[in-house]
Amino acid sequence: MTRMITNPRAHLVAALFLLGATTSSHSQERATTLAPVPVFVEEAAAAGIDHQYKGAWEFFVGGGVAVFDCNADRRPDLFIAGGEAPAAVYKNRSLVGSALSFQRLPSGLSDRLETKILGAYPLDFDNDGIMDLAVLRLGQNILLRGKGECRFENANRDLAFDGGREWTTAFSALWEEEQAFPTLAFGNYVDRSAPGSPWGTCHDNFLFRPTSSDKAEYSDATRLSPGYCSLSILFTDWNRSGSPSLRVSNDRHYYRGGEEQLWALPKDRPPKPYRRSDGWRHLKIWGMGIASIDLNVDGYPEYALTSMGDTKLQMLDDEADETLPIYRDIAFERGVTAHRPYTGEDIRPSTGWHSDFQDVNNDGLWDLFIAKGNVEAMPDFASFDPDNLLLGQWDESFVEVGDIAGIGLDRRGRGAGIADFNMDGLVDMVVVNRESPVSLFRNIGAGDKNTVKPLGNWLAVEIKQPGQANGNAVGAKVSVKVGNRTVVRDVQVGAGHASGQAGFLHFGLGVSERANVRVRWPDGSWSHSYRVFANNHVLINRGDEKVRLWYPPSEN
Amino acid sequence: MSTQKSLLRVFSGRTSVLPIALAALAFSTPVMADNMKAANHPWDEHVLTKDMPFSDYAGADSDALQSLIDFGETLFSGKFTPKDGVGRPDATQAIVPTKRRRPTNLAFQRLAGMDANSCASCHNSPVAGGAGDFTANVFVSEGFESADFDTIDPQFSNERGTNALFGAGLVELLAREMTADLQAQRRSVLKEARASGADAKQELSTKGITFGSLTAHPDGTLDVAGLEGVDDDLIIRPFGQKGVFASLRQFTVNALNQHHGIQASERFGARWTGTDDFDGDDVSDEISTGQVSALVAWQATLAPPQRREDLPKEWAEAASTGEKLFSDIGCASCHRPTLPLESSVFLDPSPVENAGTLRTSEVDAPITIDLAETPWGKSLERDAEGRLLVPLFGDLKRHRIADAARPTLGNELLGQRFVARDVFITAELWGIGSTSPYGHRGDLTTLHEVIDAHGGAATDSRKAYSDLDEAQRQSIIAFLRSLEIPQ
Repeated sequence: MTRMITNPRAHLVAALFLLGATTSSHSQERATTLAPVPVFVEEAAAAGIDHQYKGAWEFFVGGGVAVFDCNADRRPDLFIAGGEAPAAVYKNRSLVGSALSFQRLPSGLSDRLETKILGAYPLDFDNDGIMDLAVLRLGQNILLRGKGECRFENANRDLAFDGGREWTTAFSALWEEEQAFPTLAFGNYVDRSAPGSPWGTCHDNFLFRPTSSDKAEYSDATRLSPGYCSLSILFTDWNRSGSPSLRVSNDRHYYRGGEEQLWALPKDRPPKPYRRSDGWRHLKIWGMGIASIDLNVDGYPEYALTSMGDTKLQMLDDEADETLPIYRDIAFERGVTAHRPYTGEDIRPSTGWHSDFQDVNNDGLWDLFIAKGNVEAMPDFASFDPDNLLLGQWDESFVEVGDIAGIGLDRRGRGAGIADFNMDGLVDMVVVNRESPVSLFRNIGAGDKNTVKPLGNWLAVEIKQPGQANGNAVGAKVSVKVGNRTVVRDVQVGAGHASGQAGFLHFGLGVSERANVRVRWPDGSWSHSYRVFANNHVLINRGDEKVRLWYPPSEN
Repeated sequence: MSTQKSLLRVFSGRTSVLPIALAALAFSTPVMADNMKAANHPWDEHVLTKDMPFSDYAGADSDALQSLIDFGETLFSGKFTPKDGVGRPDATQAIVPTKRRRPTNLAFQRLAGMDANSCASCHNSPVAGGAGDFTANVFVSEGFESADFDTIDPQFSNERGTNALFGAGLVELLAREMTADLQAQRRSVLKEARASGADAKQELSTKGITFGSLTAHPDGTLDVAGLEGVDDDLIIRPFGQKGVFASLRQFTVNALNQHHGIQASERFGARWTGTDDFDGDDVSDEISTGQVSALVAWQATLAPPQRREDLPKEWAEAASTGEKLFSDIGCASCHRPTLPLESSVFLDPSPVENAGTLRTSEVDAPITIDLAETPWGKSLERDAEGRLLVPLFGDLKRHRIADAARPTLGNELLGQRFVARDVFITAELWGIGSTSPYGHRGDLTTLHEVIDAHGGAATDSRKAYSDLDEAQRQSIIAFLRSLEIPQ
């Protein structure tokens, strides 16, 4: 069943039927949200975005988007992978609170280099204050140096970086302690050249530590072996040690004897995988995308892992030794398994890809988005497989509202980004779909097509370390306190599915009209508490006594 | 809480199409708050005896509005009971919904609250809606870390006198217009900086009151370090001794919870807390948007204080002299005799409101009350431009009012809502002849004492007052005592 509901009123009716105990196959399992449901309007075409992710087998995976500011106007721009089609750069021309508007720009890449791209992650690898891109490209990864005005150049040669010949499907980066330049991790998929490919022929992953302290240079790679066909990786401080490890989510479809992985990264020593004797427990999933957030603000992040079938949500097992990475799957008790389509007649298992925790309704609770879509035409998995929007509830559960919110389209989602493209305090979404147009959803809150109506109060926070390496403070933690509640978000590069984003961190404040913000900078030192009023974009430079405010443009 | 019950409660508001439709279609019985369910008897011990559907009063005629205002008076003066939702065993007094960490054995207590049985139990001098004696002081604490303090030690709370509410509707309208002015100036300077590609500075001023300056940069960033007397968001918040609340509605929702444990759905309801009984007193959705509007409407339409017209000749002459001296020695630089008001139309909800207090976007149309059409409104003076002259003797701006030499008016240890301990909004002096005792703590029994307590930014004026001879000082007292709340 591939019927698509595009009319918000129809969504309402659908919701009513669900609540009114109809004959729908889903009526018995749908919980009802008490949190307010945001309404999303799909307006990619009107906004000037016409793009599809296409290609044969190698492009069944990937389909990422980088969301970042490439022209120094603080508006989030887009770099969208195209697979066999060229990647596309879109400059954000949206005005505050308006309909979304983007302008396609030339990427500056050669025709050859702008094809076969699976995904991209923004970071400033050369510390020049201009965002760069790590581009996952089939056969040769590229480190694209930002030149300003959304222009880029291939910096592989200058960085002594060997883009390799792998089928790279995952990326993460981190400025390790006392390093001027980031450590780069590339996660690879199937080794197509190995005998017996694709079964059991996963390629190793690679870690590039900077080889010079004077300039960005990556002449040596460390092999992370074995690799198990990773589709998402993330540097993460899972144990609050201050020394992040590398979390790797792998696709069991191709590996043999593999599992999910966690690599320790001891300083000046080779990486080492956690094993059972270290507490690591065997887990096999079709790992597609990691999303990380500290739900209970205990300093130990939780991880959502998308897969085919049920999504996992891992929390450190509180009955185990807290120094060991022993996780409990709380997905079922929290209602985020999202294991099959929540609407329509197709009850075969779902296929999950990109995922991200954001607060889409500004109620102060994290929500979980999951891009969904059949790999291509896998008969045992749902064909109509709409993206999920799981709203966080005050009882710590999550409730599915994708259809009511208007994002349940009949498209095969892959990568995605969630950012406030029109800077009105309601985060919007871009979803890259395989062999279908990119979806661009504008969040209109409690409104309708003609009117935007706000939900809860919000705060957007940009942090910087001017004049220092790692100017964007990757590895920092931002803590926002409202009353007795605190929410935290880490500044990270990685995770998701082939999609990364940089820029403002968005926080919902619920009914509070002010908040206290603290920053734990990457070196572990905490800032003082900044006092901020809600519904503002605030800028914090390291060492600032007081925040500055930013007001988005109201005209171009 | 059963699912059906929770749905009833969640969707009983009028704030969203979806909830209305869900409630209408899913349930055939009328949606009523618990406190409305039981049959009413003339002897019932409760106050919230009827709902006041907000939409019934949006755009309503004067008769309907009068019934809203009348019910507001009933609510303001009535003594709330558990049937109304009195009690917050699970919640603190905090403005942001906050759970208690442990139960309290005292439902009522004068410090952390609940501390009052009705609004008028404190706001009663000289009549309901007025100020309060020292006995009616409140203890202001955020209600987060020390929610159950049982001491008047100022490290836990700030003790404050009860403010009078007469003329509050005009004050809020002035604040709204000033906010709009300041924010327009912000837009202007941001636009200028973007257009010129160079930094731009804007001196902020509205209704003749200056609020420091803003510096905008071409990239849209704004330096707010030069602001004076207003929050960084440029919202004038005229209410409370400190000047930290923007609207009567916001203050009312706060006070209902703090003082009575009655939680308004628009802040404490299931949409924002996941439950329709956040305070755990077994009363759901304790006060509706329309009922809050009744309280707002009554407060907003309270007549402004006025000058006594029947003064004996000696007093009248002294007051005349004193009014001139009041201006000459600089008191009127902050205690501005009048501020001009462009529009007398009071809209509820306010266009300047954040989530947690009913917003314009959450209603189909606001409740509209033209204060100029009230009996007292018709007698207000207007300037040559036709603007109402609001004789508040204030500037709706915050100033540092205490220092080491004169600490009394800043004799607190805790800041409030980001405002330092010794900074307060200029007290409006209209009605001061009816509102002794004086000072933020209500601990100064005479006008002379409170004038003499001025420090900080008011030091020069206070010294000038001290330098006057006794007869001149008395004339200022005579003038101030002529400013009374109507009875």
